[in-house]
Amino acid sequence: MLSIRDLNVYYGGIHALKGVSIDVEEGQIVSIIGANGAGKSTLLNAISGMVKPKEGRILFKGKELPPAPHKIVELGISQVPEGRLIFANLTVKDNLMMGAYLRKDKIGIEKDLEKVFALFPRMKERIHQMAGTLSGGEQQMLAIGRGLMSNPDLILLDEPSLGLAPLLVKTIFDIIESIQQMRKTILLVEQNAYKALSIADKAYVLEQGKIVKEGSGKELIKDKSIQEAYLGKKQKSEETLA
Amino acid sequence: MAGFMQQIINGLSIGSVYALMAVGYSLVYSIMNFSNFAHGGVIMIGAYIGFFLLAAYKMPFYVAFALAGAGAGLLALIIERVAYSPLRKRKAPFLYFIISAMGASIFLENIVIATIGPTFKTYPKVFSTQPITVGSLSVGRLDLIMFVISAISLAILIFVIEKTKIGMAIRGTAYSVRASALMGVNTDHVIMIVFGLGGLLGGIAGMLFGMKYTVYPQIGFITIKSFIAAVFGGLGSLPGAVIGSVLLGIIETLTSGYLSSQFRDLIAFALLIVVLIVRPMGLMGKFTEDKA
Repeated sequence: MLSIRDLNVYYGGIHALKGVSIDVEEGQIVSIIGANGAGKSTLLNAISGMVKPKEGRILFKGKELPPAPHKIVELGISQVPEGRLIFANLTVKDNLMMGAYLRKDKIGIEKDLEKVFALFPRMKERIHQMAGTLSGGEQQMLAIGRGLMSNPDLILLDEPSLGLAPLLVKTIFDIIESIQQMRKTILLVEQNAYKALSIADKAYVLEQGKIVKEGSGKELIKDKSIQEAYLGKKQKSEETLA
Repeated sequence: MAGFMQQIINGLSIGSVYALMAVGYSLVYSIMNFSNFAHGGVIMIGAYIGFFLLAAYKMPFYVAFALAGAGAGLLALIIERVAYSPLRKRKAPFLYFIISAMGASIFLENIVIATIGPTFKTYPKVFSTQPITVGSLSVGRLDLIMFVISAISLAILIFVIEKTKIGMAIRGTAYSVRASALMGVNTDHVIMIVFGLGGLLGGIAGMLFGMKYTVYPQIGFITIKSFIAAVFGGLGSLPGAVIGSVLLGIIETLTSGYLSSQFRDLIAFALLIVVLIVRPMGLMGKFTEDKA
């Protein structure tokens, strides 16, 4: 569905992505793990058209993506950005309607609204509340719901668990799996490497702008160097791995 | 008491025109975070368009009025394309925008001086100067028309911003340009619409202002007062701009009525300084709270 080839992105003077190539197949959850500043968000922003790559190709359903971010949303890619970026000055309902901004099919919008409420019942309770008054976890749910409202084929999730309490982190990952069951393809960027790998069909490790490892989630979770670097495990404590 | 009420009525009238100008500053500020000082120039051109259509072409008031608004709106759009859009594409610092705005403002003022001349022009008489009297209060016909037109225009603007889809996109873009772009909003279009709307209302206000007083190339400087009103109410907030403007109008007429009209501008600027010291975000400053 999405294939990226030799992507090079410069941020100011910094070479943020150095020849990155990844593939995302339809219906998969693909996770990208890596430390802060490894270039994970830059990669998602390059897909969304928010940063312009210097070299390389991004193909979606076999076609090159247009440069304008709103055209990319129109093609069926939505991003749930890091830090959520919900519209604090708009109601919960208007936030969701912003997600459906490009759509004209009223019936389809209503249907997707119901799907989002089924996924996040709390959003329905708070429909007329200003989004800025929601708790951090609720804001993340709203951000994901908003990302679904464009009815995307591919949804890009940027650090959805960042800053959330452990119980909420679990909820969010359960929801990501439910979204996959809604026949959506998911590209997930996470610092919570263990969680991200355990739900991934396929995963990549990004270090200093380069893909250093790739494999299925299960393979990578057992990889010794990844355990040491990202899962906080010492070599001999494998039995504690859940 | 009747004298006081009379001053309030006059204050509401001029305050509503300030509000029409002030929302143009606020709309642009809410999205682009800079004060568009070229807005004064746009208001001035609106006043001149109205003047020439009425004086030279003898057009009916409402036609001249619509064309002054449309012309000013178009000019605001052109300024956006020429003076700001290239800076936005290069992600230039805000200071560059302000310098560019000042450049556009000086350009507009001087092009009028060079082509039309620096002299004051007086609008032809459109409405009877016979005031409308109710009991002991009297309202000038022009003052009443100024108030009615301004109030209707502001009501339409607020309806568009609060109740329509494009209004939602404007509010969303005001909160975060980035998030709106990720939702599929063409933020470039939103910015153009905001400039067009601000210019349209500014042109209308400029014509009303010119009819009340006179038209001259530096009229844009007077419109700085509507900027004060916008700051007073809270830059970036539309209700703030309206409330700030009406308050400023009333304070001005009260100062002229009870103190001296020479103190009028002094009080207006002193008010700005006091507000900036006591409450820098203004009465209803832009909502910026964001839970991390």
